[in-house]
Amino acid sequence: MAIIRDVMPAFDLLQPSSAADAQKLLQEHGSDAWIMAGGLDSFDWLKDRIKKPKVLVDLSGIDELKGIRVTGDGVEIGAMTTLTEVAEHPEIRKNYSVLSQAVSVVASPQIRNQGTLGGNVSQDVRCWYYRGGWPCYRAGGNICYADTPVGRNREHAIFGADRCVAVHPSDSVPALIALDAKFVVQTSKGEKTVDAENYYIGPDLDITRINMLQPGDLLTAIRIPSTWAGATFYFEKVRDRNVWDFPLMNVASAIVLSGGAISRIRLAVNAVSPRPMRLKNVEDAVVGKPADASTGEMAGKLAVQGAVPLQFNAYKIPLMRNLVKRAVCGVAGQQAYGALTGDLDTQEVAWNS
Amino acid sequence: MSDRNDLKSGENPPKTITRRNFILGVIAGGAAVGAASYRFLAPRGRTYSTGERLITVNVNGKPRRVDVMKQETLAWTLRYKLGLTGTKLGCDRAECGACTVLIDNVPHYGCSVLTHTVRGRNVTTIEGLASADGRLHPVQQAVIDEQGFQCAFCMSGFLMATVGFLKTNPNPTRKELAHGISGNLCRCQDYNKILDAMMRGAEYMRDGIPAGKTLTAIAGNPAAGDDATAALARGA
Amino acid sequence: MAVTNTKTSQPANPNDRVYGAGHKLVGKNYTTPDLIAKVTGTSKYAEDFRAEGMLFCRLVLSPTPHGRIRSIDASDALAMPGVKAVLTADDIPAQADYLNDNGQTIKASKWGERALTNEPVYQGDPILAVAAVDELTAAEAIERIKIDWEELPFVIDPLESLRPGGPNPREDGNVWTRPKDHPGPPELTKLKWTEKDFEDYRQGKLPMGEAPDTWSYGDLDAGFKNAALVLDESFITPDVSHQCLETRTAMAYWQNGKLYLHTGTQSTAQTVPAIARWMNMSPDNVVLISEYTGGGFGSKVTGTVIMIVPAILSKKLNAPVMMRISREEEHFIGRARPSVEGRVKIGFDKDGKITAMDMFTVCNAGAYDAASDGNTAPRIASLLFQPPAMRWRGVTVMTNTPTRSAQSAPGGMQAIGIIEPILSKAARKLGVDQVALRRVNCPEGKAQYGPPNKEGKRAHTTSCFLKDALDRGAEQFRWAERVKQPKRMGSKARGVGVSLSTYVGGTIGFDGLMVVTPEGKVRFHSGIGNLGTESVIDVHRAAAEVLDVPWDVCEVVWGDTSRVFPYTCASGGSQTTHAMTRAAHSVATECVQKLKEVAAKSLGGSSDDYEVAHQRVFRKGGGAGLSFAQAAQKAIELGGIYDGHEAPPDVHKQTKQAVGMLAGRGLVVSAKDKYPRDGDTYSYVASFAEVEVDVETGKYYLTDFLAYADVGTVLHPRSLGGQVLGRSTLGIAHAIGQKWVLDPEYGVTVAKRFYQNKPPTILDVPIDMQWAALDIPDPETPVGSRGVGEPPVGGGCAAVLNALSDALGDEIFQRAPVYADTILASYEAGRPMQHPLMANI
Repeated sequence: MAIIRDVMPAFDLLQPSSAADAQKLLQEHGSDAWIMAGGLDSFDWLKDRIKKPKVLVDLSGIDELKGIRVTGDGVEIGAMTTLTEVAEHPEIRKNYSVLSQAVSVVASPQIRNQGTLGGNVSQDVRCWYYRGGWPCYRAGGNICYADTPVGRNREHAIFGADRCVAVHPSDSVPALIALDAKFVVQTSKGEKTVDAENYYIGPDLDITRINMLQPGDLLTAIRIPSTWAGATFYFEKVRDRNVWDFPLMNVASAIVLSGGAISRIRLAVNAVSPRPMRLKNVEDAVVGKPADASTGEMAGKLAVQGAVPLQFNAYKIPLMRNLVKRAVCGVAGQQAYGALTGDLDTQEVAWNS
Repeated sequence: MSDRNDLKSGENPPKTITRRNFILGVIAGGAAVGAASYRFLAPRGRTYSTGERLITVNVNGKPRRVDVMKQETLAWTLRYKLGLTGTKLGCDRAECGACTVLIDNVPHYGCSVLTHTVRGRNVTTIEGLASADGRLHPVQQAVIDEQGFQCAFCMSGFLMATVGFLKTNPNPTRKELAHGISGNLCRCQDYNKILDAMMRGAEYMRDGIPAGKTLTAIAGNPAAGDDATAALARGA
Repeated sequence: MAVTNTKTSQPANPNDRVYGAGHKLVGKNYTTPDLIAKVTGTSKYAEDFRAEGMLFCRLVLSPTPHGRIRSIDASDALAMPGVKAVLTADDIPAQADYLNDNGQTIKASKWGERALTNEPVYQGDPILAVAAVDELTAAEAIERIKIDWEELPFVIDPLESLRPGGPNPREDGNVWTRPKDHPGPPELTKLKWTEKDFEDYRQGKLPMGEAPDTWSYGDLDAGFKNAALVLDESFITPDVSHQCLETRTAMAYWQNGKLYLHTGTQSTAQTVPAIARWMNMSPDNVVLISEYTGGGFGSKVTGTVIMIVPAILSKKLNAPVMMRISREEEHFIGRARPSVEGRVKIGFDKDGKITAMDMFTVCNAGAYDAASDGNTAPRIASLLFQPPAMRWRGVTVMTNTPTRSAQSAPGGMQAIGIIEPILSKAARKLGVDQVALRRVNCPEGKAQYGPPNKEGKRAHTTSCFLKDALDRGAEQFRWAERVKQPKRMGSKARGVGVSLSTYVGGTIGFDGLMVVTPEGKVRFHSGIGNLGTESVIDVHRAAAEVLDVPWDVCEVVWGDTSRVFPYTCASGGSQTTHAMTRAAHSVATECVQKLKEVAAKSLGGSSDDYEVAHQRVFRKGGGAGLSFAQAAQKAIELGGIYDGHEAPPDVHKQTKQAVGMLAGRGLVVSAKDKYPRDGDTYSYVASFAEVEVDVETGKYYLTDFLAYADVGTVLHPRSLGGQVLGRSTLGIAHAIGQKWVLDPEYGVTVAKRFYQNKPPTILDVPIDMQWAALDIPDPETPVGSRGVGEPPVGGGCAAVLNALSDALGDEIFQRAPVYADTILASYEAGRPMQHPLMANI
C-alpha cells in the first residue's frame, strides 16, 4: 500500500451534549471510537492517516465539562476548559500560579485558545519514529527505532524506559503533580479519582497506553486541593524555540517554608521519562533542610541517580540536575530564566538590576 | 489533545441512543453554497443524510449555509466552499498560523477546527476586516503605512491574530504584542517590520488615524470574495 | 498630525532614517501597488485559482532512500469512481537540451532530476501522481496502489561515502568532478579516500583526502611561516530547508495548444523557458501566471519539477489540474541549502591580519545535480577576508538526501559560518579587539578576490565601503561599551559578536521595456518575479525619476506572461535591484530620447532642441511641446521604431518578441543595459549580535542585533530594511536552530515537522532588531544601487556564533546550529561533546 499523508480519512462525527451521553457513545462504539477534545493531537494522527477511527466523539459541545469552579477546598477545572482560560483565571493566578505559568508556555496562543487541560494531560508521546508511523513497540511492533546505536534520540528518555524511550511531553502535568491535583475519571462503574501522577501508565505496565483510561472511560475534571494554595512555586520549561516546541524538559515544585527550612514540598519533572515523574525521593530528602544552594545541589544530584542516557541525550542529566536544584532552592535569588511568558522582560530586569 | 483511543470494544453496550440525538443545531434543507470546485466532493458509497451535512456558519457577519463533510476543517470550508481564499494553508498542522481566523473573536487555526464544531458561531476572516463601505480596518491601514510583510502569505493570519489579541489587550507593549501574535510564522522573517506595522495598527485602533492620513478605501466587497480589489490593486 | 500620548505611542523608530538626498523618488518610502490586494486577502496565489472541472492531484513519494521500482499496480485505484489518472515516470518527457544566450548547447544532464522517477534516489523522491475529482479520493486511491521495488545501497553522509569501501549513492559514483579532457558540467565519478586520510576524523578534524577541485594564489608557505598565530579548525554548517510558507503549488490547463500555468516563482520572464525545457515544448506556447509568490529564498528561481506533473496530467485529461504539495512533501521536494563541512587553516600576524588561508570543503550536494556551494564558498572567503595567499580544495559529494538548490547566499553563508568563528578565536588568542581584527582584514574599494584567471589577473569588485559600515555599526551598537560589560551574572553568560558579510550584488546586460500610452500613462513591463522583496516595483522608481514623472502616472505590469515582458534576469542571486535598475534606467533614458525625436518630427527642429519634464516634451527654454499623451499618439502615427513595429537591434530576442506584441499601443520603448562596469558587483554587511546564555540549562536568547549594510544607493528604505533584517534572520536560523534530522540506519528524515526542524519564531529573535544602510552609491552603475537579498545572511549566522563563543569560550561547539544540548553537555565537560562531523542529529 502506497503511503499518503495530509488528507483526513472519512469518519462519522458524533457530538454529544452531555458527559453521560459521551460516555454511552464511547461504550457503544468501543474501539471504533476516538475521543476528541481540543483536537490538536487528534488531527495529527488523523491527517497522517495512521489512525482511522470509524467515529469521532467530539467533546466540544459538552458545557458541563468546561469552566473553572472555586470550591470550598480549592478549584475544580473541567477537562474541556481551554488552556487560555486556565492561564488567565484569577484564582489560579493568585493561589496556584505554578499552573498558570505552566500552561502559558504550552505551544502557541492559538493552540492554548483551543487546547484543553484534559487534552494536554492526556496527550500522546511525540517520539518522531512513533508519530511518523514506524511500527515500533508502542505501535504494536517489536522494535524501538530510537534506542539503537545510531537512532536519533536527543529528545528521549533518561528514566523509566522499557522497550519504549519516548517521553511524556505535557507542560501542565508537572505543575498539577506539584499541586497534588486529582483527576476525576468517569468509568462504567462510576466515578474514580486518582492522584495526578497515578493517571499515567509506563511502558513496563502497558506499552500501548499512556494513561489509565479504559474503553468507555472519560476524564471529566481536574481538582486542585487548597493544600498548596499560595505556596512558594517554581516552574521552568526548557525548549528549543520559544513558541510551539515541546519541552526538552520542564520542572515544577510547590514548597512551604517554615523558618527558612522546607517543611513541605512536592516536585515533578516531565520529558525525562515515558510518564511524568514525581520525585518523591528528592522531596523526602529535602524536607527539614534549608531552601538554599547546598540543599539544591544535593537534590539535583539525588534526582539524576539511576539516569540512563541514550546516544544523544546525555545533556538531560545536567539539565535535570540543574532544574531540580532550582526548583528546590532557586526561588530565592535565581530568577526562572525563560520560563515565564514574560521571559524577555525577566531577563532584562535581571541584567539591568 | 490526546484523545488516545485504546478502547477495547466493550461487551454489548446498550444501544439505546441514536446518533441523531447528539447532533446539535443542524439545519436541514436549503441550497448548499457552491464554488467552482470542491476539494472534497461527496464521498461515494457512504450514507450521509443531507440534514447532517448542511449547516449554517456565520461568516463575516452573514449566515452561510454550506454542505460540509464530517472531516472537513474550517480552513477548507472557507477556501473551497465559500471562496474565501484569503485564509491560507501553510502547514495544515497548527504550526504556522497562516490559516488563523477569529471564532467568536478568539484566534484559532482554521486548519485545526472541524467546521461542524462551529455551527452557529461567528467566524471572521481577512475578507471581513474592512468595513462595509470598503474602508480598511486600522490594522490593514497600518500595514499599508509601514510596508509590513514581504511575500505576505502569512499576512492574513497575522492580521487576524493581531485583531484577536488587541481585543484582549488594546494597549500592548511591543513585547506583549510579540507574545500575543507568536503563534504565527513568517518565513520571510520580516518579524521586525510586522511588529512595527501591528504596533501602528494598535495605535490606529486606540487613537484613530492621525490627521493627514486617511483610510484607504477599496473597491468592491472583499468579504464576498470579490476580485475587483485585486484587479484594482494590480493596476489592471 | 494628531498627537498621541498613550504609554505605547510608538517612539521614533531608529530604523526610520532619511535616505534619498537629492532624489525625488529614489530612497523614499511609498506604498507598493500590490499591498492593498495582499492586505485584504484578495491577492491570488497559485492555490487560490479555481477553474470549472478542476481536478486535484497528489503525489506518492519514495519511502526508501534508494531503490528501483519493479512494478506499479494501480488497477484497484483506477477502478475507483472519481479517479482520473495515474501518472508515472514513463509518462514524463525527457528534459530537452537547450541553447543558451551564448549559442552553446547545454545538454540535459543524465543525472538530472525529473518530475517522477523509477529509480528514487532519496526518501521523498516523487514516484507517481494520482489525479482525481478531489483530494480525498486521490488519497484513498493512492492507498490502493501496490508498488514493488528493490532496495539499493544508499548513503546520507558524504564522509561515509568517501571512506574506503564506502557506499555510493548511485551506481555511477559519489563525487562530482569537472571533466579534465573536455569542457562541460561536472560529471559523477567514484572517489574513495584512504584509511590514513581518515585518521583525523577521530580527533574531530575533517579528513582531507583527494579533492577534485582546487585553486590557489600567493605564497601560502611564506604566509604561514610569518604568522604569529596559526589556527586549524573544522566547522560544519547545517542542511537547511527553504520552507517557503506557501507550499509548492501549480494549477495547469491547456487551451488551443497553449499551456496556462498558475504557480509561484521568483522569476516571471525566466521561468517560461525553464518550463518549456522540462516539458520539451516551445516557450511560445507557455503562459505563466504568477502575480504573488509565497516565498522563494532561492528555491523557486525558475521552474521546478512540481509544475510539470499538473501540466502533463492536465494535457492527458483535458481538464484543469491543481497540485498543492503538503508541508511534509515540502520538506522533501521543496529544496534545501547543502551542508558544507569545512576545515580551514589560517595564519594571523600579531594584529590579527591574515597572512595565509588554506581552506578545504566537503559539500553535501544531495541526490541530483551538483550544488556549487562548495565552489562559491572559497571565493566569498577570499573577498571578505582578503588573505594575501590562499588555497582551496573541495569535494562535492552526492548523497541519497533531498534535492538541494541555491538558498540565499549559497556558499557565502557557509564560508562565513565556517571562517568567522576562527577569526573570533584568533582575536581572543591574540588579545585583539574583534572589530579591530575585522577592520584589518576588511576588503575596500576595488578589492581583488579569487584565483587568477588564465591571463594571471584576479577579479575585483566595483566598490566596497564595508569598513565604513563596520565603524558606523560598531558605534551604533555601542560595541566598545558592550565589550566592557561583565560577562557573567549568576548562571547567565553574556557575549557579543561581530561578523563581516558579503555576497554577489548584481549582474548587467538585461533589457527594459515600457510604453507611454495615449492616455498619458507610463507603463513599465516587468519580468521580475513578485515574492515580496518589491524589487519588481522598486526598480522602476529610478526610471520614473529619469522621466521626471510623478509616480501616480506610472503603472507596473507584472506576473502574467501574456502581458509580455522584456529579457529579465532571473530573480535570484541578489542581482535584480542592480541589473534591473540599470535596465530601467536605460529604457527611461531611451524613452526621453524617443520623446524628443517624436517632438522634433512633429514640431520641427532637432531632438536636441527639446527637453522632457512635468509629463511633457517641449522646446528648451519653453515654447511648443507635446504632452506625454500627445507624444504617444504621434508615436503611433509615426510607427516603426516609435510604436514598437520595429525593435532596437541590440535587445534580446525575448524583448523583440514582447515589443512586437505591444506594437501600436503608444510610444513603445525598449533598451538594453549597455552601461559600462569595471569590476564585479558585491554588497556587504557588518553584523552585530548579543546573546545571553543560561549555562545551567543551555538555553540562550539573542538579545540584540544590528545589520549595517553597504548596498549602494538606497532605493526603497522599508523594503530594504525588510530584506536586511529578514535575510539576516535567515542566517541567524542556521546558528540558533534550523536543521535536518536523519536516521542513518534507514537513510530517512525523522524531523519533518516545524516543531522538529525549527524555523525561527517571532520570539526567537530580538523584538527590536536594528538595521541601517550607508547609502553610498556604487560608482560603477547608474543610480548606484546594488543587490541586497543575500549579503546579510552569513553575517546573521556568524555574528550569533561569535557572540556565543564570546560568552562561553572557544571549546563548546564546532558546528551549527548551536542548541541547549550542545552548550550544556560541552560546558559541563569543558570540551565539545558532540562529534562535530556527525551531522543531522
